[in-house]
Amino acid sequence: MKYFVAVFAAALLAGMAGSSSLLHAQSEGSSAAAPAFQPPRTPAGKPDFTGTYQWPKPLPGDEIGHSNATIFDRRKFAPLKEGGEAFLEPRTGDPRHDEPRDFCMPAGFPAGPLSGNAMQLFQTKDYLVMVHEFQRMTRIIPLDGRPHQTGIEPTYYGDPVGHWDGDTLVVETTNFKRWMMDDYFYTDPKEYRMHSDAVKFTEHIKWKGPGVISYTITDDDPKIFTAPWSQEFEVIAKPEWAAQGLFEYVCEENNRCPGGKCTVP
Amino acid sequence: MEGPIATEVHVLKIRILVPVVAFVLAAAGPLVAHHSFAAEFDDQKPIKATGVVTKVEWQNPHVWFYVDVKDENGKVTNWGFAGGAPGQLMRRGISNKAIQPGMIITVEGFRAKDGSNNASGGRVTFADGRNVFTAGSEDRTPDAKK
Repeated sequence: MKYFVAVFAAALLAGMAGSSSLLHAQSEGSSAAAPAFQPPRTPAGKPDFTGTYQWPKPLPGDEIGHSNATIFDRRKFAPLKEGGEAFLEPRTGDPRHDEPRDFCMPAGFPAGPLSGNAMQLFQTKDYLVMVHEFQRMTRIIPLDGRPHQTGIEPTYYGDPVGHWDGDTLVVETTNFKRWMMDDYFYTDPKEYRMHSDAVKFTEHIKWKGPGVISYTITDDDPKIFTAPWSQEFEVIAKPEWAAQGLFEYVCEENNRCPGGKCTVP
Repeated sequence: MEGPIATEVHVLKIRILVPVVAFVLAAAGPLVAHHSFAAEFDDQKPIKATGVVTKVEWQNPHVWFYVDVKDENGKVTNWGFAGGAPGQLMRRGISNKAIQPGMIITVEGFRAKDGSNNASGGRVTFADGRNVFTAGSEDRTPDAKK
């Protein structure tokens, strides 16, 4: 009896394996009908991100704020470090402190590129240049293998260097000032999220489909969080915006009510 | 910069809506600005004003347009209204020709926190009934519901 059971079980397993193989073959047959996506490439064979895009947008189901500026989803955050630096900047009542952007101070990285404006990427063998319409911010990212700079003051946008990991461009940015992490204060003015001056942001940029770039930001901030954490966004190509290009953005030009005090027109 | 200020004055009326209990405000949809709404405007002081456009500043970080309005006592006041950034409005199909001096418009928004004759200008309705949504990023609109 045991013999028959064993033979039956073996036959059953073989049948399942066969079915599985058949399904697999059918699946391969289907995929063969639809050629796999091939990203645009530079003459050197690297994925080419040159183009005009919408700002990074959250994936379906991720938290969104009350403006179109993309925010980080709090569910992605690592636990806050006990006794660590404050993640939320306390309000002081001084508008220059509580909302420096209202006085045309820079958004910084990553809040700047996440703001709801068009952006344009230009790529050469040695650089990726990211130009964002908001505040006409420009990030010039070396891809030539150089190390991070040393002996420079911390900055709002940090010091980025990029390298290729297969078809993924990895950009590591360090040397930041303590500054806003995202635009969540648009949604809740009491939650003014910060990154510390020790943060390292790592971007993983890769094509995931026609006109769609996967854009993941990893926040490694040992003064604030217990561990690095990441969130993936999507950057959608907008070739129809290319003819018009990016608009000039001079914040100081007509900033009439900074801090809630309007000037006479 | 803009050209000469239009001097034609057609005074109409202004109606400042006082907050009411049932009035529920919420953040608007997919819009853009360089600052938070709360930094400059008071969402407890909605305003709806009709008048003639006297000047348009299609500039960053927000467009501003100015409207001569007449209150219930007949006094004419020039009000400034802030919209979104020019680039954002353009991609919404609102060009720098959309609002021009001499047009009669109705603007809905919220007053500046400093009590001056300035306000956000979330929605503009033209004399023919068309309307455009000129709000900035997180600007609020009077009809938004939570």
